[in-house]
Amino acid sequence: MEMFKEAILQPGPPENFALQTVQEFIKPQRQTKLAQDENQLLENMLRTLLQELVASAVQSGEEIMKYGQSIDDGENSQGQIPRLLDVVLYLCEREHVEGGMIFQLLEDLTEMSTMRNCKDVFGYIESKQDILGKQELFARGKLVMLRTCNQLLRRLSKANDVVFCGRILMFLAHFFPLSERSAVNIKGVFNTSNETKYEKDPPAGIAIDFNFYKTLWSLQECFCNPASLAIAPAKWQKFTSSLMVVLSTFEAQPLSEEEGDANNLEDEATAFNIKYLTSSKLMGLELKDPSFRRHVLVQCLILFDYLKAPGKNDKDGTSESMKEDIKSSEERVKNLLEITPPKGKDFLHKIEHILEREKNWVWWKRDGCPPFEKQPTVNKMIPDGSKKRRPRWRLGNKELSQLWKWADQNPNALTDPQRVRTPSITEYWKPLAEDMDPSAGIEEEYHHKNNRVYCWKGLRFAARQDLDLFSRFTDHGIEGVVPPELLPLDVRSKYQAKPNDRSKRAKKDDVKGASQQVEENQIATPASENDGEGGRADLEASVAAMDTDATTTGNLSQGGTPTPEDNQKLSPDTDGGQEAEAEAGQLEADTEVEAAVIDGETDAEVDL
Amino acid sequence: MCGDATSWDENAYRESILKERELQTLTVFRTAWPPSSNPTPDSIVAASSDGSVASYSISSCVAKLPLGFSSARAQPLEPDVFVQGHDGPAYDVKFYGDVGDDNVLLLSCGDDGRIRGWKWKEFTQQGNDVKPVLDLMNPQHKGPWGALSPIPETNAIAVDKKEGSIFSAAGDSCAYCWDVETCKIKMVFKGHSEYLHCIVARNTTNQIITGSEDGTARLWDCRSGKCIQIIGSEKGKKMRGFSSCVSCIALDASESWLACGNGRSLSVWNLPASECVSRAQTPAPIQDVMFNDNQILAVGAEPVLRRFDMNGAVLSQIPCAPQSSFSVCLHPSGVTAVGGYGGFVDIISQFGSHYCTFRCRSA
Repeated sequence: MEMFKEAILQPGPPENFALQTVQEFIKPQRQTKLAQDENQLLENMLRTLLQELVASAVQSGEEIMKYGQSIDDGENSQGQIPRLLDVVLYLCEREHVEGGMIFQLLEDLTEMSTMRNCKDVFGYIESKQDILGKQELFARGKLVMLRTCNQLLRRLSKANDVVFCGRILMFLAHFFPLSERSAVNIKGVFNTSNETKYEKDPPAGIAIDFNFYKTLWSLQECFCNPASLAIAPAKWQKFTSSLMVVLSTFEAQPLSEEEGDANNLEDEATAFNIKYLTSSKLMGLELKDPSFRRHVLVQCLILFDYLKAPGKNDKDGTSESMKEDIKSSEERVKNLLEITPPKGKDFLHKIEHILEREKNWVWWKRDGCPPFEKQPTVNKMIPDGSKKRRPRWRLGNKELSQLWKWADQNPNALTDPQRVRTPSITEYWKPLAEDMDPSAGIEEEYHHKNNRVYCWKGLRFAARQDLDLFSRFTDHGIEGVVPPELLPLDVRSKYQAKPNDRSKRAKKDDVKGASQQVEENQIATPASENDGEGGRADLEASVAAMDTDATTTGNLSQGGTPTPEDNQKLSPDTDGGQEAEAEAGQLEADTEVEAAVIDGETDAEVDL
Repeated sequence: MCGDATSWDENAYRESILKERELQTLTVFRTAWPPSSNPTPDSIVAASSDGSVASYSISSCVAKLPLGFSSARAQPLEPDVFVQGHDGPAYDVKFYGDVGDDNVLLLSCGDDGRIRGWKWKEFTQQGNDVKPVLDLMNPQHKGPWGALSPIPETNAIAVDKKEGSIFSAAGDSCAYCWDVETCKIKMVFKGHSEYLHCIVARNTTNQIITGSEDGTARLWDCRSGKCIQIIGSEKGKKMRGFSSCVSCIALDASESWLACGNGRSLSVWNLPASECVSRAQTPAPIQDVMFNDNQILAVGAEPVLRRFDMNGAVLSQIPCAPQSSFSVCLHPSGVTAVGGYGGFVDIISQFGSHYCTFRCRSA
């Protein structure tokens, strides 16, 4: 063992000695690839070694990832454990040993380490993400990795280790493909145990409309289990009548902007509650709370979306009358959301957007969760060379590519005295001025003013070079723009504006000109900006696409639907939500990666 | 059974038809919450167009209520006590006395010019046979040769427990102040040129305010019987001929703010400054107003209960059962009763939801 340790921890790049050491100690049947029992043997040895190293690191009181780091090696030296890991990783990557081994070691290591050391270990994992994520390794180790991460998450405090939690979630999001279906609630099962309890008997001593109280909170039962509505028409009847009562109560008492603001401030200040309290004493206050209303209304929208989605088999699809009901209620709900301050319109817009995405995920699920990665289309070799391959232009076509390359090919193009410049307007208008001279006797038909391209170009030049001339276009048409000095005297007077009128206009034109310039500048800049944004938007889109599933899996399917609790997920940073999902993940062998990852992100998004 | 006419009772049929008609045209002119230490509203008294004064139990109504609101579903409710108080419509009911007082009186007035009072305790205990302990009749005016005018109706009453007075707004454009002990008129307030619609007592300053068909509201001093101030007189003149009567007035708890329903507009006055603070327009004429802290509840000739703030901005509009409402009445717990056309009484909870809705029985 000691020998093995010596051998495997020797300094230098692993390529030099790793395979050799393994061959030496295991004496495999085949040179480069270990058989199963040999793998097992090696794994056992490595695990024992790791355990030993950690134990001695702990005894020495050093941080385990730095244990054994010799001081004289300087900055790029590694601790013994990372070195061991590197070696194993190398072996796994080259497929000399079984690929799951590195994952096994990493799991062991995190389990043996304290939380502080785990940060270092995780840092190591993150740094090797590219290698670990390779197809061969990923396939062998994804479950172990998932388990490791979930264990870590479970050990971490959600309140205090937010950053580390975030790191783990980010890692999971990158490590697993977008279409990873382990977190997906494939069947769309509802978490019916998420019950909202409320008082069944009116409280003594205070006067409240207990009937209404029950009506409002009874809606939660339906939100919790939407599937039950679709099957039982009686239940649907009851639900709609209750909903109507609640909606008309909301409608009758719109909240003012101030009420919205007041509550908003409060929201920011106080801690976030997972679920609204259902005490009947709070009813009056809750009705005045815009965010409470929003929750109920958004729950409605989510429910309607679920009901509207085509059923798995046509038999249990919603009936026509039900569809009508849904349509009218949805209208009302949306109107209500719009008038609920603060920023009701924006809020509704966002919610609609999210729900739209949600639908995509529903479809994705229905289609059997196809992967999003598009395999590159294999270039089919055309058997005979009859079809000439068209040359590929970098910028779409030949002309554009040439334009692009122009500057490179002609470095002194700008300084070239021969280059084409914008003509001065006196030059440019000459042909038209000639036409306008009656002595030239040019027929109307051949008049330059009939050439629309010519006129338009001229106007552009005039606008840049002489605004005063340009402004005369409004009074005299295109011929007014022609510089008077080009015209014979008799013609000139015809197009001369009255002097006092002119001075006035000149002033105006100055202003106009200024604004025009500004506009031009503005047009120039966005072009570049747009590009950047376009890229960003795409990125966002891909991230957000992932997000939505959080709500699918989270709300509709696993989280047990739009109870207030789940709705809260739509607002920032929900501990409870994550928790719920983490648990669900546990149940379903493997898990919540996506849901959890996403969860964090949806939050951010929705909060906008 | 079919076609068997042997047991046909034409009279019974006729009666049932008439009854149905009556019920449809029955109008609740006023509702009042009896003073009670129970924080939950348990019963309500309604004065209707058939002259009845009846008390209804809210809890029994709520108990058998189906979930949800719809005027079509408003069930006729059997009154606990039903007293034929007046010949012709009963226009107003008021309670005289406070919580914990054994001698709380239930007062009502009506088209027959009477003000009747019952002991509330007896009213609830003895049921329909209860006898009035108070019976005041408006005086008739004497004309030449001893001709007597018809008895003027009493449109509204107000009470001042401390002074032991009942104020009545009568159809002869006078307001009367009655002494409860002696059943005599203490004071007559003359000055309006048209009949009176409404009256409120401003007990802290010993004043009353009346609203009249002539388009003005007047502030009277009860000691001298003189009119101190005419509110909204110029406006009344300008708008004469267009439902400008002051149909309802209300005082807030501090008795320094006055809400005045004037045709389709609701004006709020500050009495100490005698200035109109705000004026809000409504689509239909306002028929009753009420202060709720610093908000104003108003109902009118449309099936909506509106809540205004002091600046006249509409805070909420709650649809309610009566197509046209004549009475809005607030319970200390925040529950509001709206009564009006069709005999409907709609009880609206402090949440703005419909606590219960019922139809009054006609005589």
